[in-house]
Amino acid sequence: MAEGKSRRPEVAGPEPAGTQSASTDKPAISPVSRRPRVGVFVCHCGINIAGVVRVPELVERAKTMPGVVVARDYQYCCSDPGQQIIRDSIKADKLDRVVVACCSPTLHEATFRKAGEEAGLNYYRTEIANIREQCAWVTKDRDEATDKAEDITRLAIARATHDESLEPVGVTVNKRALVVGAGIAGIQAALDIANAGYEVVLVEKQPSIGGHMAQLSETFPTLDCSQCILTPRTVETGRHSRIKLHTYSEVAEVSGYIGNFKVRIRQKPRYVDFDACTGCGLCMEKCPARVEADFERGMGKRRAIYRLLPQAVPNRPVIDAEACIYLQKGKCGVCAKVCPTQAIRYDDTEKFVEEEVGAIVLATGYELLDHEKMSAYGIGRVPDVIDGLAFERLLSASGPTQGEVKRPSDGRVPKKVVFVQCAGSRDREHGMPYCSKICCMYTAKQAILYKHRVHDGEATICYIDVRTPGKGFEEFYQRATDEGTTYLRGKVSKIFRQGDKVMVWASDTLAGRKVELEADLVVLASAVVASPDGVELAKRLKMQLDGHGFLTEAHPKLRPVETLTGGFFLAGCGQGPKDIPDTVAQASAAAAKVLAMFGQDKIFHAPTTAWVDEDICVGCGNCELTCAYGAVKVDLQRGVAAVNVALCEGCGACSVACPSGAMSHRNFSKKSIYEMTEEAVR
Amino acid sequence: MASYAYYPGCTLYTKARELDLSARKALAVLGAELEEMPAWVCCGAIYNTADDDFAGRIGATRNIVRASALGDTLVTLCAACYNVLKRAKARIDDPANAVERERVLNFIDEPYEREVRVVHYLDVLRRDIGWDAVKAKVAKPLAGLKLASYYGCLMVRPAAVLDFDDPEDPQVMDELVRALGAEPVRFDFKTECCGGYLVVNRKDVARESSARVLENARAWGADAVITTCPLCQYNLDRLRDRDGLPVLYFTQLLGLALGLEPDELGFDNCAVDPRPMLAEKGLL
Repeated sequence: MAEGKSRRPEVAGPEPAGTQSASTDKPAISPVSRRPRVGVFVCHCGINIAGVVRVPELVERAKTMPGVVVARDYQYCCSDPGQQIIRDSIKADKLDRVVVACCSPTLHEATFRKAGEEAGLNYYRTEIANIREQCAWVTKDRDEATDKAEDITRLAIARATHDESLEPVGVTVNKRALVVGAGIAGIQAALDIANAGYEVVLVEKQPSIGGHMAQLSETFPTLDCSQCILTPRTVETGRHSRIKLHTYSEVAEVSGYIGNFKVRIRQKPRYVDFDACTGCGLCMEKCPARVEADFERGMGKRRAIYRLLPQAVPNRPVIDAEACIYLQKGKCGVCAKVCPTQAIRYDDTEKFVEEEVGAIVLATGYELLDHEKMSAYGIGRVPDVIDGLAFERLLSASGPTQGEVKRPSDGRVPKKVVFVQCAGSRDREHGMPYCSKICCMYTAKQAILYKHRVHDGEATICYIDVRTPGKGFEEFYQRATDEGTTYLRGKVSKIFRQGDKVMVWASDTLAGRKVELEADLVVLASAVVASPDGVELAKRLKMQLDGHGFLTEAHPKLRPVETLTGGFFLAGCGQGPKDIPDTVAQASAAAAKVLAMFGQDKIFHAPTTAWVDEDICVGCGNCELTCAYGAVKVDLQRGVAAVNVALCEGCGACSVACPSGAMSHRNFSKKSIYEMTEEAVR
Repeated sequence: MASYAYYPGCTLYTKARELDLSARKALAVLGAELEEMPAWVCCGAIYNTADDDFAGRIGATRNIVRASALGDTLVTLCAACYNVLKRAKARIDDPANAVERERVLNFIDEPYEREVRVVHYLDVLRRDIGWDAVKAKVAKPLAGLKLASYYGCLMVRPAAVLDFDDPEDPQVMDELVRALGAEPVRFDFKTECCGGYLVVNRKDVARESSARVLENARAWGADAVITTCPLCQYNLDRLRDRDGLPVLYFTQLLGLALGLEPDELGFDNCAVDPRPMLAEKGLL
């Protein structure tokens, strides 16, 4: 394997070979140089189509359509014998275009195009007439269905008649990956790619890697210590010769396209020279400034010069400028005085680094729902109402209380803890409509761990449903009940302070009554939401997000780690709430997709892209403004638009926006659209 | 001077006289006037939720029809009147109830001059006058006073129809408190039940409900509770021993801050006299 040496691809950059300039080749104005020879193949799809559409009649009608030299039907065209019929017919009947009337092109367009290609027909000369989803499945009357199927087929024939032979666009691949976010998802993806022999650039906004997993105490359902299973990975990542780590950094800008991205990374000022620093920690002992530690979720404090945790990778502190007395007031300088290697740099500024990569994995992670949205639950107002991550810090052996459960208000050990599930999840009115997926299990775990720490403590869990779909999950939930946790089925309506107690109003829907619980501490399983920084980055990168800010995969079932933008892959909770095993599996899947890409020297891109007729184009730039992919730019010197076919997804928006008609779409030209329209309204 | 058609309702003429008086005087300082609509009748007192309650809606609708002679806005103060009138209006406005609307209007048989918007006095302060203008007119800032704004149920629910404020964590009175220079207390029982009409036949239940509201307000450090609902004021103020937190109408403190004479504001109507507390804060 090339060890990522070829950082700069031989032929790449802004003008990859065979891309932009090729797009100025004019297609033949009259595509029908000789009489077209169209073959039509109608699929029964069992009774899916034939149960509604009268297939033999459709075949007879197709035979009379212009250009059609052969029309046939078959039970399942996608089967091997079905494809063979098409291949044989292309040769025997000398077909130069094929129309298959069958299911949606999203399913079998590639199948039939490949079959045609095997028989010598250009890949882009096979068209699909979708008579299943758009006709048979949505039409009851057999006459109407047959008529509609005929119309759809005639349109596809009109389109095929104008199809040209096209060749896919080849792009060289820079075999180097960027992974954004170094939680367990990003770490796993980076390690998998690096261990396969390719270089990885790993960017993390925090001073050290590990993400939320580094905050957890023990993990369900096995109760193994989160740190203990995570640190081998963080250490391996930190020391890996092929992983280039940018911590305390953010992706500022990404340009380029699949295989050839340019990434600008913003490095926040750390005020510590990473090369000079040995990580001895003396500065952190002596620093006089103490502030709330975000990492401890309000459960503990840190100094102004700090690292997130003792096992931090890289083990180098940074200075929080807002908290630092020297940076705010110009006096103090204790850290600089005590540093044995003179590594403190008060004059540090933010820096920008450029990296070139071929693929990008977004592992931007999650946060918990902002408690302001759940005002009835008192969090932020009542000190002894905390969220699940804060409770993890209380349980964690390396946390602010060394694993002793002490409540924030007065440091007492709580004897009664109420856990509230679905605090913002499955709640269309106040929070998020979706299930956060991990809370049932981590709440059960927290109740178990609490009982292990406080033997005479009472743990009550208010739940709507307990969902345990996972290996060992149901057994784990049973264990929580066996060990004495009370499960109370009903939603919590209100949480408030009364004296030194926290009152919880809930309902017990099994007993059919309202309940009022008195607690020393309340733990909310707050909804998992996409990390706001991740959402902001995704918007800048024009990634598709769902209504809640989670990254959208290319297909919910069959392309779960790809995005609709070539070269971008997904891993972890940025795509949706998930637990550690699912996250790791998804991260490895994303890495596999990156490796599949890196396994080729060139990747191929559909040539059905936009195309500019330079004789007509006036360079107005409407197309450039319209393009969502940054694929069209006006060449200011020549005053005409130019399409970067490596970036163009063929959506057609520019053709619509073009006032002069210069912009068009290969194999979906204006002429073919006119003719299809004419056929449609005939 | 802006003038609004005003529906006082029965309670503001009797038990809650101080709400009516302080509201009118305070608004005059702010440069607007409440013009009492002629021949107003009972609003219905509670909004009947029966599917067919033709008779029950006539009173409320009649008030709206009569107010249409004066203008397009009808201001109310009592939380119950506001709730009933606004819901009655929403009911006849709903296109699905076109037949009922015609039936009710035919029965009333008086000229319905124009569509009338039912608003609360607080809407006038918030939307028409604005907090900045209120602030500018404050003569005696209520500095050092911590106030728990108690909304109860009628001002905010049903949220979809009343569309007044967040139904669980309403803010409008807290904003007013801030404008007057006092400090709003973010307590937990803003919209919990005061006991309502249970005071008639289950005084024990009403007493427990209202006591919890006061207890929570006190726990958050409030010096007084303010409300806009005469029933809430009654339950909170009267269903308890004669000590503890004063319960006032927001208009009384609005008047005080705008420089009205304390004697005009009806503080003596409260069961727990707020004056010692206000004197202690240097506001009297």
